[in-house]
Formats: sequence, structure tokens, C-alpha cells
Amino acid sequence: MTTTNLRGILLVLPATVWLLVFSVAPVILLITMSFWTSSIFGTTTDFTLDNYRVILDDPIYFKVLAQTIRISATVTLISLIVSYPMAYFIATRPSATKALFLVLLFLPFWSSYVVRTFVWLPMLGRTGLVNTILMKLGIINAPLDWLLYNEGATHVALVYVYTLFMTLPIYLSLDKLDPKLIEAAADLGAGPWRTFRRVILPLSMPGVLSGCVMVFLLACGAYVTPQLLGGTSGIMFGNIIAPQYTVTNNWALGCALSVVLILVVSFCLIILGRKVRLNDVFIGG
Amino acid sequence: MSSIASAENTMKTSSFSLRRTALMVYAAAFYAFLYVPILLLVALSFNDSQITGLPFKAFTLRWYVQVFNSTDMLLAIGSSVVLGILSAFIATTLALLLALGFRHEFPLKGLLMKIILMPVLIPGIVGGVIYLIFFGYGQIPFGLWTTALPVHITWVLPFAFLTLFPRMHGLDRSLEEAAADLGARPSTVFFRIILPIIKPGVVATTMFAFTLSFDEFIRTLFAIGSQRTVPVHLWSLLSDQMAPFLPAVGVIIMMISMIVSLIGFSLSARSNNSIGSY
Repeated sequence: MTTTNLRGILLVLPATVWLLVFSVAPVILLITMSFWTSSIFGTTTDFTLDNYRVILDDPIYFKVLAQTIRISATVTLISLIVSYPMAYFIATRPSATKALFLVLLFLPFWSSYVVRTFVWLPMLGRTGLVNTILMKLGIINAPLDWLLYNEGATHVALVYVYTLFMTLPIYLSLDKLDPKLIEAAADLGAGPWRTFRRVILPLSMPGVLSGCVMVFLLACGAYVTPQLLGGTSGIMFGNIIAPQYTVTNNWALGCALSVVLILVVSFCLIILGRKVRLNDVFIGG
Repeated sequence: MSSIASAENTMKTSSFSLRRTALMVYAAAFYAFLYVPILLLVALSFNDSQITGLPFKAFTLRWYVQVFNSTDMLLAIGSSVVLGILSAFIATTLALLLALGFRHEFPLKGLLMKIILMPVLIPGIVGGVIYLIFFGYGQIPFGLWTTALPVHITWVLPFAFLTLFPRMHGLDRSLEEAAADLGARPSTVFFRIILPIIKPGVVATTMFAFTLSFDEFIRTLFAIGSQRTVPVHLWSLLSDQMAPFLPAVGVIIMMISMIVSLIGFSLSARSNNSIGSY
């Protein structure tokens, strides 16, 4: 028994050491540096609470944070509504065609989200597909300018980029569903809507929660999508963290902002995911 | 495998076929939402026009010629491919050892699981920032092999573990126990029993790991210094201006990841079947 234990420890040791150095240590440094002092001369280890004070004092940070959570929550909700019927569709395919529909679902997500975000420029731009079609149909006379560079564009693209992370866990939980339960509900006289609400939906709840956690988390950390499509009104928290490093060189403030984002996201996830164990999010949905 | 399709068939309600049709139409619309932007990108990559947009003027290959004649672009593709291969191999090896270890009991297993998931759970932008300060503070020179490689390995590792772990867990222990009873050493058991069974799964995981690395952007952006992977190169081009060859760059990136993923997916599907038959 003790030799088995030792073997287990030896096997996990390389990856554990790796993760302690390259995952845990950087996060500890992040938290530590959020209490340091940044100035034009660089960042020094002088302890200060000023970074957090700045965040609390300047209403812009709270505003963008609230906007980030609002956008992420809306994107999560839209993804859920859009993805659930799709997951149901794939789960109810006969096994011969199921793999095909799954591959069709996966294929667009097998490429960088930079590309998947970028495609929305020619979709929504002045000479883009949407404007061209609307003009061809005679619905509008001049191209619409407001399709891009605002919150709406950010929403559409975030749903597009992350919706697989909603569809997949819901599909997995629907696929595991015992068909006898649905038959039983029908035999007992439950209509389709009632069967859905009382049997299918509750049993697919773990998948729904996993999907919500994943999409919300991914959306909260977004940087590329709002930067490229959001314009000035559609910015998210990532877009005020990055300039602390690329523009103003205020590392300590950037760290404090990052810590705030981690705390707020964790808090939201605890509320949202009280019923879902994080391991379940990844293993088997 | 049972599916709820058969149960649906037994629900003979009058509105059944109507709901079925509605679901079909919905699925078609969903796939259109997924594919129209991609097809548009492909079309624009062949469009002989100085602006990235419609109308489609004439067919041309010149944007592809331009991309493949650009040293920066070729260098970025080369860097991304080598980085992807290296991080896929290293991360899959680490993850395989980890998954093997997780079949045993050891102290703090629950805590280790949380540590493994950490790189995935940290919001994307913060995932980039921590490496900028970590390597910056440690005065490690930023570059492909000094900083981007460890970042990619760390990013890919949890996903590799999460795809390997269920396969390892579902493995029938009696084969190994039989081999051990017959006097096989642990290393022999691994190379002669476990590895042949899980090999397709490991290959599939390595390919997924490659595409995860190949497509990674935000962490790389902060960790790579002045060098370029393909997504970072595309980003710097995008931030500059909308150049007419950008759709071609996008299509090339997409093709590389999709082909590798598709191979990985079919291998993985095959390995699932073979494990099921054991």
C-alpha cells in the first residue's frame, strides 16, 4: 500500500512542480505585487494600499467592472437560449449521423478566437455582408454604421466565439439521459412541454450549469473581442487591465485590477455554481 | 448507446412532426450562424479588392501569394508549428504521468486537482498579465523558447490531463494486475499493457494539445516579447490597419488548426471505441 502511494506521488511530481512554478507562483506574485508601488521609475516593493484605493475612488473602474459582468451575464444567457435546442437536436440524432453533426459543431471552434472574432469585421462593417444583404433587399438605402464598434457587436461576437462551451456540456448531459424516463413520463400522460420541464430540463441541469460557468468565465476575461469590435462604449475589464502594462507601465495597479477581477469572477461563480462542483464542469459535464 | 431519439418516437402526439420540423429549421439556422462568417472570410480571401468587404469583384490568389512571400508570416507560421509540437509533447507527457498517478491514492489529491484546473479558471486577460510580471520580475528575457514555451505548456497541460484522465480511469485494472502477478515490472506493465491500449487516446490528446497551443493568443501576447506566433502576428496586423490580405491569413490559420483537430477527433473517436471493446 505504501509503495503504491509512493508511486502515485512520484508520477504526479513532475507536473505538480511544473504547475507550482508556472501557475501558482505567478498568481502569488500577482497578489503580492498588487500591494507594491509603481512609479515612472518602475515598480518597487514598498507596501501600499494605494492601488486598491485608486480603484475604489475612481468610478470608471467600477463602471467598467459592472459593464463587464452585465455583458458576460447577457452573453451567458443568450448562449444558453441559443445552445439548448441545438444540444437537444444533436442528442436526439440517430447514432449514425450524430458524429457528423458533432464534427460540424466543433469545426468552427477548432481555430483561433482571434480569427473567429475577426470574421465579424467583414460581417458587420460598412461593406460587410449584413449591410450588403439589407441594401440588396431594399430595406435600407445607406449602409448602417452602428453595427460595429459597440456593445452589440461585442455581444454577438462573444456568443459566436464561446457558444460551444455551452452546447457541449448540455449535449453531454442530454446524451446520458435514460430514454425510459421520457417514455415513462409520456405513459403517465405528461405532454411534451411538461415532460421537458419536469424530466428533461432538471436532468440536464448539471450540463446547463457547467456551460454557464464556462461561458461566463471566458467572457469575463475577454480582451480581444471588445478591443476589436467594442469601440469605446463596449469596452470590458480586460481592456483597462492591458493598458497598465502596454501604455502606462503601472504594473502594481494592473495587478490590483487583476486581483479585483479574479475576486469578482470567483464570487459570481460561487453564487452561480453553488450546485455544481468545479471538477464536474470539466469531467463529463 | 441509448438515445432519447427512440423515446421521442414513442411520443405520438399530434404536434410531434411539427416540433421535429421546427427543431430541424432551428438547427439549420444555428449552423448557418456558425458557418456564414467563415465562408464569407474564405470568399473574401479570394476577392480581388483593396478593401476587406463586399462586393466580390474577381477571383484572385494574390493575397495568398503575398502572405506566403512574407518573411514575417512564414517565420510566424514556423514558430507556431514548432512551439505547438514542443508544448504538445511536453504537456502530454506531463499530463500522462499525472493521469497515471491519479489512479493511486495520495495525500492532498483534491488540492492538486484544483491546482491543475487553475490555469483554465483564471480569466484570460489575467492569464496573460501574470506571465508578463512573472518573467519580467524574474528578468527572464522574453522570447519564443524562454517564456512562450513554458506558458504554452502550462496552458495546455490541464486540457491534456482532462482528456487523458477519464480514459485512464476507465481502464480495466485486471489486465495490469494479471501482468504484475506474472512478475512484470511496473515499467514493463506500462509499456507493454497500458501504453498500447491508450496509445490512440494519447496521440489524439497530443494533437488537441497542438491546436490549443497553435491557437493560443492572449497569454502569448504578453509573454512573447518581440517575436511572433501566427495569432499574435495576425493581431499586430489587425491593430495596424485592415490590410486586404488579412482574410487569407485567417483562412491559413483556420485550415492548419482544423485539419490537425479533425485528425485528432477521428483518432479519439476510434480510441473510444477500442477502449469500449476491452
